[in-house]
Amino acid sequence: MTGLAADVRAPALPGFPRPRARRRELALLASVVLALGVGSLSLGLTRTGRLEPADLPALALFAGGLFAAHAVLVLAGRRVDEVLLPAAALLGGIGLLVMERLPQDLVVQEVGPWTLGLGALQLVWLGVALAVATGIAVALRSDRWLRLYKYTWAASGLALLALTFVFGTEVNGSRLTLQVGPVSGQPSELLKVILVVFFAAYLAENRILLADARVRLLGPITVPPLPYLAPIGAMLALALGIVVVQRDLGAALLFYAVFLGLLFLATGRRTDVVVGLLLFAAGFALLALVFPHVQQRIAVWLDPWADPLGDGYQLIQALHAFARGGLVGTGLGAGLPEIGGRLPVPAVHTDFPLAAIGEELGMTGVAAVLAVYLVIVGRGLRIAAAARDDFRALLAAGLALVVGVQAAIIAGGNLKLIPLTGITLPFISYGGSSLLANAIVIGMLLALSDRGAAPLAPPRPPRLARLRRASGGGS
Amino acid sequence: MTPGRPPAQRVPTLAVVVVLAFAILAAGSSYWQVIRADELASSPTDAAVLAAARTVARGAILDRDGRKLATSRRTEDGTLYRVYADPAVSHPVGYASGAYGSAGLEQAFTAELTGSGGGDPLARLFAKFLPPADRRSDLQTALSLPLQRLAVQLLGDDRGAVVMLDPRSGEVLVMASTPIFDASGIANPATATATFDALRTDRASPLLDRATLGSYVPGSVFKIVTAIAGLGSGSISPETVFPEQPKGEKAGLLVSGYRVRDGHHPFTGTTALDLVGATEVSCNIWYALAGLRTGGANLDAFARRLGFGSGLPFDLPTAASQLTNGGGPLPGGFLDDVELANAAYGQGEVLATPLQMALVAAAVANGGELMEPRLVTALVDRQGRRTSVGPRSMGRIIDGSANAVLVEAMTRAVEGTYGRLFTAGARIPGILTAGKSGTAEIGGSGEPHSWFIGFAPADAPTVAIAVVVEKGGRGGERAAPLAGRMLKAYFEAQP
Repeated sequence: MTGLAADVRAPALPGFPRPRARRRELALLASVVLALGVGSLSLGLTRTGRLEPADLPALALFAGGLFAAHAVLVLAGRRVDEVLLPAAALLGGIGLLVMERLPQDLVVQEVGPWTLGLGALQLVWLGVALAVATGIAVALRSDRWLRLYKYTWAASGLALLALTFVFGTEVNGSRLTLQVGPVSGQPSELLKVILVVFFAAYLAENRILLADARVRLLGPITVPPLPYLAPIGAMLALALGIVVVQRDLGAALLFYAVFLGLLFLATGRRTDVVVGLLLFAAGFALLALVFPHVQQRIAVWLDPWADPLGDGYQLIQALHAFARGGLVGTGLGAGLPEIGGRLPVPAVHTDFPLAAIGEELGMTGVAAVLAVYLVIVGRGLRIAAAARDDFRALLAAGLALVVGVQAAIIAGGNLKLIPLTGITLPFISYGGSSLLANAIVIGMLLALSDRGAAPLAPPRPPRLARLRRASGGGS
Repeated sequence: MTPGRPPAQRVPTLAVVVVLAFAILAAGSSYWQVIRADELASSPTDAAVLAAARTVARGAILDRDGRKLATSRRTEDGTLYRVYADPAVSHPVGYASGAYGSAGLEQAFTAELTGSGGGDPLARLFAKFLPPADRRSDLQTALSLPLQRLAVQLLGDDRGAVVMLDPRSGEVLVMASTPIFDASGIANPATATATFDALRTDRASPLLDRATLGSYVPGSVFKIVTAIAGLGSGSISPETVFPEQPKGEKAGLLVSGYRVRDGHHPFTGTTALDLVGATEVSCNIWYALAGLRTGGANLDAFARRLGFGSGLPFDLPTAASQLTNGGGPLPGGFLDDVELANAAYGQGEVLATPLQMALVAAAVANGGELMEPRLVTALVDRQGRRTSVGPRSMGRIIDGSANAVLVEAMTRAVEGTYGRLFTAGARIPGILTAGKSGTAEIGGSGEPHSWFIGFAPADAPTVAIAVVVEKGGRGGERAAPLAGRMLKAYFEAQP
């Protein structure tokens, strides 16, 4: 830990920060609001037959929140990424449109004197998420407390999970929800952020040792010495163990994939990744042997049509929804037929929002949503590549992976590419825990992207070299 | 492999992996939203199709002469329900009921009848920008209501099935199954519950469409499949005789210690029969030997070409016909030579649907090329425009010269000196008929299933037929005369 204190402190700021214009972010946010406005008009037209936006106040509130967050970032004057917020806002806005479009009584909560339906609740959570992301982006100036207290973070995360296990309420056969007074949440969403912080801190500190000091295990297979492997192994095992016992298979898959990605970044040993994948396959086979519900998931994945009215029902209905959408979709509000007043996909707002998007916005809409996730991951990885130390690089990459891998797991499940696991589609699915956790991810990525004071402009190359480069140079 | 390099330098590798994963997701989306879209979105189980089925008056279902087999009506309070012309067509036409779902063509063509699916992706894309159109269609079927009625009447109180089709086009004229049921009773909201509950508990399973879903031991009618496989693979020729065959007639033929018995054609004496002779008198021993020489692999391959081994390409769901229970060590899944020898004359573990056996007759009737069977011949939209469906070929099964031998064998089995002793009932005045009867032993002490497959006129066939009567006795006694009556009625109706 030598020399740590020297380079982790953010540079001291002289007095009140000077506002910095963020033109790119403003333009992107404006186009996001424009796109959502068109979406809202389309939904309104389908519903009423008149050209009027559906639920104008909600759209206005969301747009107001976005511009307020933009204003705060401008005033804070930090040189943070200008694409992440609009990208996440676009996904959040699409999610809001989908939630407004679904039957509002899917989720109803009493908040003080008001009774809020699905769309209103999602709007409230989006507001909270915006505040959290902006707050972290502005306030998180030092990563010192993140890296120094990594074990404390890890322990508190696991404690939270254990609490859920003991005191949690059961929803849909899984005990994932912790209820405190009127607020309930799924701690495994938060745990993913905590785990990334722990992995990044541990791997940054020990990566040379993990890669070089190898003990021969079996033939060509070598492992790092046990004392260095044990803490991270135990942490991973505990997290996986708890979520597996809680039947939260999606979270287990997410944790493991992010861990493997970070391990590769830290040590650069591809054989470790291969061994990790083999271990995963073995673990998965073991789970399938031990737990009947895992077998059932696999059976449904392989052939949902074997039990079209039972286990396979939701997935089949989701695939039908994708098929009905076709290339350009039915249009917002024109899809998702109800049979006898029921939606064919009951968990559409949590586990299958991509199916709703696929039906009403078509393959074009799905491709666009996937592209926006790639933009977010891409920005996160850029931040990682430009990070000034290993911890920050691993942390940024891990956070980006959390978003990308989670989106890929649930999208793959919806599209019958992998077995379905009940995790949320980041920024789009209904749910406070999910939105909050992903807001923290965006906030931390923004904070990590801070380039501090403007660096000196690089010296311009001589004119001849510039010309050569412009004409495709070298050849 | 250079841990000294900082993690940041390995980020591009990770980015490539993530981009690849998302490319796979996009491919998955296009698979379901473009490649499989049409099939899923117009499937009768699709939610939008189901929703439309409850609110839209379906198009009519017509027989080949334009008679309405199914029409829509409204109750006094405005609820839509279906009315069917005759219980004789209940199995192929099916029913559409608010409470009990749908079956038959009503189920398979829900999307077309209610106008909620169909059209190619591009047409659907453009349709989105136009005012919503009434896209319901009427179904033009190949069924003949009078012939269908006659088949049901001839089957009478027996359980069984009759399939009659045009071998040249695959058009199905008759697809009868008894006992019949009252589809109108299920569709009418006032009588639905009582009708459906009674049908569901009826031990004669009237809801089962025996023509497509009934799996029967075929007995001797399967010999045509063995002959096709033997000739088609070159394992046997029209001149093939087996010296051990006449000796086996009395004591039975010993195959791996098991005795294949025959014995119902003493008049052939010590003559070693060839293919035509053996088919005329339905010689089990000749066919057992031919099957052994052809081998399980060839028998299996040719049976599959004819449609065995999986559901048939058809408008309605069909049961897969089988050669064996599978899993045996010999080629084709046979357990041993005994099973193969028995299968060669339609016993063993062979099971076939009446539609499948009608296709066997149709393949021979059409010069060796098998046409896909189809009930629906055209979709007629609201403006009266017809979109024809098919015909489609299932491929050539056997070449024309080999097929001619089969035509001769089947003609002799009905019209020949000895053939008449078995299947005289299938003959009709003035028209040469070809066919094969079958007496399927089903074990126990019950009567055998009575089978007949055939076609006419033998020299230029326009119609092929398969008849099975459950526990109807010998093929020549029950099924063959029934087929004769059907063929006679068919030709009388032709101009």
